[in-house]
Amino acid sequence: MNLKQSLMITTVFAAVFLIGWEMYWRSQGFYPSIDDDNALWGIQRAKVDKAIKEDVVLIGSSRVMFDIQLDEWKKITGRRPIQLAAGGCSPLPVFHDIVHTSDFSGTILVGVTPGLFFSTTNPKAQPWAWPQSKVDYFHKMTYAQVLNHHLSIPLQKTFAFLSQDEGVDGINLGELVKKIKMGGRIYDPMPPFHEFADVTAERNVSMKRQAETDTAYTNSIKAVWKFFSSGEGPPPDKAATLKLFLDDLKVFKARGGNVILVRCPSSDFLREHEKKVTPRSEFWDQLVQQAQVKAYHFEDYPQLQNLSIPEWSHLSADDADIFTRELLQIMIKDNVLPEIKTK
Amino acid sequence: MLFNSLGFIVFFVFVLIFYYGPLLNWINKKRMLLFTSYIFYGLWNPPLIIILWISTLVDWIAGNKLAVEEKQSKRNMWLLFSMVINLGFLGFFKYGNFLLENFTLFMNAIGIDYEAMPMNIILPMGISFYTFQTMSYTIDLYNRKIQPARTFLDFALYVTFFPQLVAGPIVRAKDLIEQFYEEKKATADHFIWGLFLLTLGLFEKVVMADSLLSETADTVFDAGKVVNFWDAWSGTLAFSGQIFFDFAGYSSCAIGIAYMLGFTLGDNFLYPYGSIGFSEFWRRWHISLSTWLKDYLYIPLGGNRHGITRMYVALMLTMLIGGLWHGAAWTFVFWGFLHGTYLIVERIIRSRIKMEVGVMGSILLAVFTYTLVNFTWVFFRAKEFGTAKDVISSMLYLNADGAKILGNFDIIKIMVLSATLFSTHYYMRRHTVKMMASKVNPWFLGLIWAIMVFLISIAQGSGEQFIYFQF
Repeated sequence: MNLKQSLMITTVFAAVFLIGWEMYWRSQGFYPSIDDDNALWGIQRAKVDKAIKEDVVLIGSSRVMFDIQLDEWKKITGRRPIQLAAGGCSPLPVFHDIVHTSDFSGTILVGVTPGLFFSTTNPKAQPWAWPQSKVDYFHKMTYAQVLNHHLSIPLQKTFAFLSQDEGVDGINLGELVKKIKMGGRIYDPMPPFHEFADVTAERNVSMKRQAETDTAYTNSIKAVWKFFSSGEGPPPDKAATLKLFLDDLKVFKARGGNVILVRCPSSDFLREHEKKVTPRSEFWDQLVQQAQVKAYHFEDYPQLQNLSIPEWSHLSADDADIFTRELLQIMIKDNVLPEIKTK
Repeated sequence: MLFNSLGFIVFFVFVLIFYYGPLLNWINKKRMLLFTSYIFYGLWNPPLIIILWISTLVDWIAGNKLAVEEKQSKRNMWLLFSMVINLGFLGFFKYGNFLLENFTLFMNAIGIDYEAMPMNIILPMGISFYTFQTMSYTIDLYNRKIQPARTFLDFALYVTFFPQLVAGPIVRAKDLIEQFYEEKKATADHFIWGLFLLTLGLFEKVVMADSLLSETADTVFDAGKVVNFWDAWSGTLAFSGQIFFDFAGYSSCAIGIAYMLGFTLGDNFLYPYGSIGFSEFWRRWHISLSTWLKDYLYIPLGGNRHGITRMYVALMLTMLIGGLWHGAAWTFVFWGFLHGTYLIVERIIRSRIKMEVGVMGSILLAVFTYTLVNFTWVFFRAKEFGTAKDVISSMLYLNADGAKILGNFDIIKIMVLSATLFSTHYYMRRHTVKMMASKVNPWFLGLIWAIMVFLISIAQGSGEQFIYFQF
């Protein structure tokens, strides 16, 4: 047994295999990206505990992530907001957590996607369970996990093959194996769901160029929205969600906190579907009326309309910059961010 | 800190630099190992290091007293002192909630309306392992089988040595403390072999357990509905493989890391799924625990010295407690009960039937053993008896209309992996990895090793915890 020789061979072969693997995935259109995992969220959540009155925390679902650009916001206000929104999530568990486990008394901007905001208070239902798992992860996050996260960021920024994406765009070993299908023993009606976000280490999210320019790619995402809209899902639980939000809002306001509600744009099929399932007069208007906080619905402001929404639900990267600037100008004019000194 | 994490790689590189660098003498190297072991543990939950310190201090004091005390009553008292503190910690942190739940159930059953406040106790990582390790030191001193550690540093390092601190192997004092007395330095070959074992362990954990097996097991056991025959077997076989690769992987990492530092830890797994019978299975599965239970529980309970009935009672008690050691739930106790029953039945059969078996007979008996072991894993994995009952009945084809939740490829994948796992274990019953490695061409070994490194890198896991950390 010549172990030294074996080790040298291992080093050479492993390097060749990994370089080849990286080159292959790059040739397939993949590029280095940051995983929007629980650790990334937890690092941002930790900032809330040190945040000051001038800080703004963004909560909600994916529309707030795509539509509000952190760098644009910082250019105007001088401070980068803390992004805690997450795809497919109700904002209520995160709001509840910030209100009850932190002393933060700055501004919380709540992205209201009615289908998710009013969805449920059932801890086992997905719109609640997903954000709650992030909250739980944050509260149990160990120093080892924080260290691993910080060490992984430079690697994630360097190698395309390092990816925790799931589904059709998953390229780690487990996901590649999961993609192998034989026969039709079980039926999965879900269309392929492509990853369409670019994420930075500070959780700034923007739409991938391919999702804006490749019609087939964009249509595949639209097919997923149609799929989600076609099922007989549980009806919105307006009474319970509204009560929980208003109760937490009362506590937050009492300690001097400021809340802003924002309804981000949607279009075409999805907007029509939302009008049927969560009509504005019955959901958004009632929320605004009872919350007694400043609220912005994209349909009320011409400058927030006619923006590019390639897959009906999220703004393109360039138009997200416009949306962020325009929304901020409106809010500054309304003086709803009183603590922020614009640059 | 997890072996399968970037943080550990950086941590271990620093340890190696200080360990093999010229700056420190042997005593300071041991201090460095102790200090870094506390960092290794403390990066998870710093305050819980205090429990580790108390356990270390208690057994150091009790051990020193036992080494010099001649009066039996006082010797008993010092042993009791160690037992009460160690088992007290274990009982409170690991079984506190379980005892409270069962007490509440009992009170309600006898008609007393009682509701306990939840205790929300955090389970200190690896408490079952280091508690058993420190207790073995004190018990061996009580039985005058070993000499006390020469210095507190040696003893503290024995309790805290980071490669095996949180999930074993549970090393006996005589096997490890004496290794700390003289300066240790791995030879180049030892170092590289340790690195190979570390790679093998990570491959078992990250690739086999986490990437190829865990999801199938989770899908079946968390389905929340009665599943089909094939799905039930696939889920059970997947978990059977997952728990082996997870735990044996950790042990390989621990042994490899210790090797790279010049220390030797004993084997913890020797291809258990190739066993013929359950006595052999327990000589091959989690060896450091099964020998601990034999030496400190089964033999003190009488072992085979007081007749057959007493032996069976001792055996069953040992397995029940062994089951409870794994987790604070009745499903774990039942898992231990099944293994206890298997062992007793096997001994009865062996005492009455003398049989010679050929190769085919051996293979059939090994398949039979593997099959029965798989039935026990159902209780180990299921969170509730109801789930276990549903899975078992599906495995026995009693739920012909059970739901199909796995795809064809998933089922084939699990069957192929399980067949490979069993065949490998059966073949390796009389071999070791080192024997196999020494037979093959260095190029071939290098290629296999590179493939493992490649698969670990592309599996890249998200730093999943090892299953046995919860024990």
